[in-house]
Amino acid sequence: MTETATLRIQRFNPDIDRRPRLEPYRVPLTADTTVLDALHWIKAEVDGSLTFRRSCRHAICGSCAMNVNGRNVLVCKTSLVKEAARGRAVTVRPLPYLPVIKDLVVDRSSFWEQYLRVKPWLVPPETTPVREFRMLPEEVAALHNAETCIMCGACYSACQVVALTKEYVGPHALLKAFLRVLDPRDTIPGERLAEVSGHDGAFRCHTIFNCIEACPKGLNPTQAIETLRQLAQKRGWFEDERRQRQTRLVESEPAAPAGA
Amino acid sequence: MASDDPIEQDILIVGAGLAGGWAAKTAAERGVRDVAVLSKVHPLRSHSGAAQGGIAAALNNVRVAGGGDGPLEPVPPGAEPPDSWELHLFDTIKGSDWLGDQDSMEILVREAADIVYAYEHMGCVFSRLPDGRIAQRRFGGHSVPRANYAADWTGHVLLHTIYEQAVRLGVRFYSEWYVLDLLIDDNVCRGLVALDIVTGDVHVMRAKAVLFATGGYGRAYKITSNAHANTGDGVAIAYDAGVPLMDMEFVQFHPTGLYKHGILMSEACRGEGGYLVNKDGERFMARYAPGKMELGPRDLVSRSEQQEVNEGRGIGPDGKGIWLDLRHLGREKILERLPQVRDLAIDFVGTDPITDLVPIQPTAHYSMGGIPTDNDGRVLGDGVRMPVVGLYAAGECACVSVHGANRLGTNSLLDASVFGRRAGAAMADFVLGGAALAPLPPTAEARALGRLRRYQEGERTETVDAVGQALKTTMTEDCGVFRDGAGLARARESVGELQRRYRSARIMDRSRRFNTDLLSALETEHLLTFSEVIVAGAEARTESRGAHFRTDFPKRNDENWLQHTLAFRAAPGEPPRLEYRPVRIDWERYPPQERKY
Repeated sequence: MTETATLRIQRFNPDIDRRPRLEPYRVPLTADTTVLDALHWIKAEVDGSLTFRRSCRHAICGSCAMNVNGRNVLVCKTSLVKEAARGRAVTVRPLPYLPVIKDLVVDRSSFWEQYLRVKPWLVPPETTPVREFRMLPEEVAALHNAETCIMCGACYSACQVVALTKEYVGPHALLKAFLRVLDPRDTIPGERLAEVSGHDGAFRCHTIFNCIEACPKGLNPTQAIETLRQLAQKRGWFEDERRQRQTRLVESEPAAPAGA
Repeated sequence: MASDDPIEQDILIVGAGLAGGWAAKTAAERGVRDVAVLSKVHPLRSHSGAAQGGIAAALNNVRVAGGGDGPLEPVPPGAEPPDSWELHLFDTIKGSDWLGDQDSMEILVREAADIVYAYEHMGCVFSRLPDGRIAQRRFGGHSVPRANYAADWTGHVLLHTIYEQAVRLGVRFYSEWYVLDLLIDDNVCRGLVALDIVTGDVHVMRAKAVLFATGGYGRAYKITSNAHANTGDGVAIAYDAGVPLMDMEFVQFHPTGLYKHGILMSEACRGEGGYLVNKDGERFMARYAPGKMELGPRDLVSRSEQQEVNEGRGIGPDGKGIWLDLRHLGREKILERLPQVRDLAIDFVGTDPITDLVPIQPTAHYSMGGIPTDNDGRVLGDGVRMPVVGLYAAGECACVSVHGANRLGTNSLLDASVFGRRAGAAMADFVLGGAALAPLPPTAEARALGRLRRYQEGERTETVDAVGQALKTTMTEDCGVFRDGAGLARARESVGELQRRYRSARIMDRSRRFNTDLLSALETEHLLTFSEVIVAGAEARTESRGAHFRTDFPKRNDENWLQHTLAFRAAPGEPPRLEYRPVRIDWERYPPQERKY
């Protein structure tokens, strides 16, 4: 007899259902079954209408963020054995505080709107060198916390401030703002700091740390937000620093031309 | 047809990875006003983002101290440049087993440095040398270190960078829209038909130029590094619309997929010095590629692994695995250079590469073949020189051909970027040069609507999943790393039988809204369509070249097979019609040689 686990999955098709309901499903369980594997199994074997997003299945595309046993996770890297420890049913719901499109699929429109609001692109100096801008390894290392964000929405939908108001720009967008503000190549850190220190920005964060706990990539949006707050207080100084730094962005071109 | 239809755009790009992103950015930058990108997943979910190890370009930032497999050091100012586009070109030609078109490959490598710098100037955060230059590492089949990287999430940062730029330029995104049909009439592309996944509405979309940048098709295999989304939709839809497919039998198996999962463990693992070890603890590559060891090209390393497994020296419960040993790299290097793959090993097979061996196996990874194009992305309706007016393709779904029979690692991000950019420029010229919207055929959406209806009407006597699983088993067992005539004949019959069975396949979800059951059905139909072409090409090609290895014809045969396969859709029930065209070779500079590593 193969081992099994029980999932309780929130089902809801707004075209048909009046309200969401939890449906139980029994699925086969092996040591390396993920919650995503279980969802696939149910879809293939029990009910093809079970609806969820997924793509890469290794925690880099950001599609499959959901709420499992009360925590926001990527289901592709969430072990079913661990979630089903001591035979408890595993509850799978869509990311909280976001409108549900169908079953486990949420509408991330507000999430993307806020992301665009911080101008996620770099605004580099007007004249570009023939080769690369020079950036130090430690400057790159300082960006790792933000660079590897996969925009899954786990932090956003765990944030109590977002839950109260969709006006708040949110941890993901502030993490992106941090990435650009701290990048020595960016020419508008002052403008960015002014923007994020506005009413809906970094000072709206209540430092509840939910975002850190929720992040499946182990990133720390709260710390980034804290840095933005501090820099916003001394914006003029930071802009001067950046201008100084940018005089050293282009070193004298090395003698060996690229592709020579 | 929805009420506001048809939707009209100057340029419509299908797929939002690096190829689609570059095309969109370039066309918008050149002044085309209505550029739109349609993607079945949110653009930032595109599979380009899963690429790990790097993007190739001869930047000459790094060299090998003392030569050979010595440690790397920055190239000092004024020193002799160790690398060149010519060397990159030769490595790529040799990697391709001489099946790549050399004029196209020259474009690829000559634009490489410029495209990497363009990414850097747009904000991509590359890893750096102490003096601030972009860091480079070794990669398989490249004779010098030229993989420019951002730790082991290079594709991720490139994807985010190009998407941000496209958004900044006002490109419109149709996120979670799925192409159902390509409208070609009288050799002119008129647009396409697409499904808005969220609402379930079908839209006719007209465009002066359409680009397919729909990615690869590793999902035809059981063990694959590819995302669930990589189902070769563009390739199958183009083929159904009358476009030939080129060199489809060349499917790359990456040597280091996580055991049983197929999830990619970057080639950077070996580029940074990792070992491959069999169950006896032997670094077996010494017997297959003594000069290159683990840094042989992917086709060779995957075959070597499979050979070890076939001869009983594999690991794991089924003996189908191989060990990847990174322990000697040390904690610091692994955390700095390979942080993502470390997490993947811990999360998916429960071993930490810092202290443990990691079980891996070959995994279906990359599609060398695809939609034939010229050097500016124009789709060739005859596979040779006649463009389909207004239709373009770039990236993994396209076949220029710059990878020939086997792609080198780090050349795919380069290909998608360089030829995405070129296709974007060519479409901009076409549109700004006065191209008009071509008239639609009557009942343009009829075929697409028929496709949708058939899965939702009538009794479900066959399931999509059962056929899909059977297909993956067939392709893995009979059209995988090693092939032979008997296996390929079995595969041909099996795919044909599965296509017949699939006519009875129906889905359970009969609703309109976000119907992923329906998407899976359409995707599986696409897998069945192009798998037949892969098998046909492989069965016909009675030689071994690059990723296509026939145990019954183990030698390369330039006399008969130094040519590209072109497969044309024949009448229903008929096998694909195969034609061949010569490879463009510079016989003076790069004549075919024996390929040894």
